[in-house]
Amino acid sequence: MAILLKTFRLKILELIPLILLFYISLNGNSVIHVKFFSINVHYILIYFWVLRQPAALGYGFIFLSGIISDVIYGTPLGSTALALLVVSSVAIYVRAVTVRINLINDWISFIPALLFANFIYYVALYFSNYPIDYLYLFTNSIFTFIFYPLLWSIFSILLKFMKE
Amino acid sequence: METSRDDVGIAIRSAFLKRENKQRFSIFVLIIVSVLLVFFENIKAKPVDNFRSFVKDVIYQGSSMVSYPSKFFNNVKKEIKKHNNVYQSNENLKKENKELKQSSSKISFLELENAQLRKLLDEQVESTSNLFSARVLLDKQSPYLNSFVINSGSNKKIKNGMAVLDGNNFVGRIVDVNYFTARVLLISDLNSKIPVVLEPGGQHAILYGRGKSKPTLEYLPENVKISDGDKVYTSGKEGIFSPGIPIGAVKIKDKTIFTVSLFSELDQITFVNINLGDFNQSK
Repeated sequence: MAILLKTFRLKILELIPLILLFYISLNGNSVIHVKFFSINVHYILIYFWVLRQPAALGYGFIFLSGIISDVIYGTPLGSTALALLVVSSVAIYVRAVTVRINLINDWISFIPALLFANFIYYVALYFSNYPIDYLYLFTNSIFTFIFYPLLWSIFSILLKFMKE
Repeated sequence: METSRDDVGIAIRSAFLKRENKQRFSIFVLIIVSVLLVFFENIKAKPVDNFRSFVKDVIYQGSSMVSYPSKFFNNVKKEIKKHNNVYQSNENLKKENKELKQSSSKISFLELENAQLRKLLDEQVESTSNLFSARVLLDKQSPYLNSFVINSGSNKKIKNGMAVLDGNNFVGRIVDVNYFTARVLLISDLNSKIPVVLEPGGQHAILYGRGKSKPTLEYLPENVKISDGDKVYTSGKEGIFSPGIPIGAVKIKDKTIFTVSLFSELDQITFVNINLGDFNQSK
């Protein structure tokens, strides 16, 4: 019974990143706006988990959550999915070339992920004739980068529980 | 040097092309699918539209269900805020009521005068309004689109371009119709450009959406005389919307920028009216 309970708890813990991924997509919380700044939680969530625990988030699920975000926000179908897959690709690459994992390494390697993802996202929007607010893009990228350590710490605690 | 280049090549190959343990799809394949989807978005063909419409309907319903807890908490928060403001609003309402009573006699006189003048002109006035009510299903703050989703679509004969009203006030137009749902592009969106007329001056202009800022009036005649509080209505030019739908009041900023304070609060809308009239008659 105790083993069964432990397995069940472990399964639930393993599913938390996936549940979070779909919750923020379906609830339209991928980008959190707080008065003067906005943070792209979607990017941080995907980057962290693909980098640290790739088995927790399947690429197919990441693609699907991007499609959901596109429908909810009314952006062209496939544009967010593309940006999220780019973030995942950078995370996979960083994982392949990095030996030691720590916050500073993760944080710095998050910069190219953000730059590539936003570039691809805005190219997709540009070709679909969507107006682009460059100032918004800039502030969003900056604050997503600044808030990375905060979410990194929260996810690290969760990861620690999962590994225990 | 050669070895390090090989390492990078191996890392890139393993990142993009190899399917890892517990992964069903290669990331490269999914990126290609996403690019194709973005291209398909610009293709207008019936089967593609039907597929898109089906996908969107399913996701909207799912999102609506997932949003219930957050909607509930938001409503509770709003209710508490409303209760806190009751005293202040009561005072304001008393003041407004007094002013309305004073102006009502003036209005009845104007109505009488209007009726007499219409009779004199022998004008036949027919109401073409054919309103249909719908509920706001999803109101998610998108960074790039000021819009919301309503719970009626082509099943209720809603079509692209129809005017959407909050009570009697214009708030936006339909831009994307699915079978059970439709997306309303709000007047504040960067894509929104509405032909309007100002009262009492009668000047024509285009109302431009400015995202989070207030919409502004553009293409006004040179040396135009506009004052704070002038009313803005749809002009009905080019036959897009019915004329005379109230939108808001002018607020002058820096003497050259004419912003418009909308009559409706766009983030407080629960039910909307869709003007089906002209579209269904033209069919």
